[in-house]
Amino acid sequence: MLTSCRHENELRQLMARGQWPDACPPELRAHVSGCRTCGDLVLISEAFQHARVESLAAARPVPPAVLLWRAQLRRRNAAVERIGRPLLGAQIFACAVALFAAAGFAGFEARNGVAWLTLSYWHDWFVQLPQAAAAQWASLSAGSQAGSGWSWLVLLPALATLLLLGSVAVYLATDKQ
Amino acid sequence: MAPTEKRARMSWEFALPDTWAGGAADAAAGACDPAMENEAFAAFYSRSSRPLWAYLARSSADPALADDLMQESYVRFLCAAGAPALATDGEAAARLYLFRIATNLLRDYWRRPRAATIEEIPEEFFAVRGQAAQTDAQILLEPAMRQMKPRERQMLWLAHAEGYSHREIAKVMGLNAASVRLLLFRARRKIAALLRACAADADGRLS
Repeated sequence: MLTSCRHENELRQLMARGQWPDACPPELRAHVSGCRTCGDLVLISEAFQHARVESLAAARPVPPAVLLWRAQLRRRNAAVERIGRPLLGAQIFACAVALFAAAGFAGFEARNGVAWLTLSYWHDWFVQLPQAAAAQWASLSAGSQAGSGWSWLVLLPALATLLLLGSVAVYLATDKQ
Repeated sequence: MAPTEKRARMSWEFALPDTWAGGAADAAAGACDPAMENEAFAAFYSRSSRPLWAYLARSSADPALADDLMQESYVRFLCAAGAPALATDGEAAARLYLFRIATNLLRDYWRRPRAATIEEIPEEFFAVRGQAAQTDAQILLEPAMRQMKPRERQMLWLAHAEGYSHREIAKVMGLNAASVRLLLFRARRKIAALLRACAADADGRLS
């Protein structure tokens, strides 16, 4: 199927050097006129070389600075997008933690009935807040001094913060790899 | 960071932490290759842009498309993380890589659904530039090229206009060298017959 002529490479080299047809042996010229493979090669190569010369002259390339600028712009956009990714992840995580805390709070308060949904309940809560906070702080201080552990009110936000910072650190470390 | 290196960095990068600015620019974009300095790129561009445009224009038969794809090819080349560096890999490798990008862009373009296929492109497309002064090469080659498949046009151009070997064509087109040899042989037979037919037609019209 793939029949090639033994003169093909020689002919190809002569054409590449610009020695065809004037500076080639007359025997080769006689061979080309009778060989289909070599005849095809000459016909096609001459047509494509002429077309190439015309196309090179027709090309109107833009200044290279335009392309460098476009490439810089694309790199900058990629970098900005890359920076935005961990921030978005942290925001999603923080939002999830806040929702979880809100759900936990709602669940905790629901055990006391639906009174917390009324306005008067919150009014009383705000009025009693300074005393309640002082009492909570006193119990917390007493607990920590006795070495019996932390109140969950301190532990939960601390754990959430640690988780948030930890996940950002892990993300950045894996992203760099 | 050395002062010269700092000067070479873009102003926006100073607004970012080093891990992000340098890392992101290097990894996401990959183009902060010191070998690809502006001057080196300009020299490479001046030597390769016209052959690349010719390849794109002749393969797509659309000079406007060739303009767009040529620019996109260079931008992707500059942004590609795995692009050969001119200083270390040489210009031949960079040029092959560039032609490969252009080939992939052409393939993507042809795969995209459009109103008209490449075979349906009107003849006027081929005569957009210099309609009045059509040369013998245009008169004979263009009708023949229109009847070839896009892949055959690309292969023939790379082999006979750019003078690439089977192995180089295989790299550019993402095929293996044996397939290129067979496909090119068939394409060559086909276009030779078409060129002879076009020449006979032209002779008949003249006489």
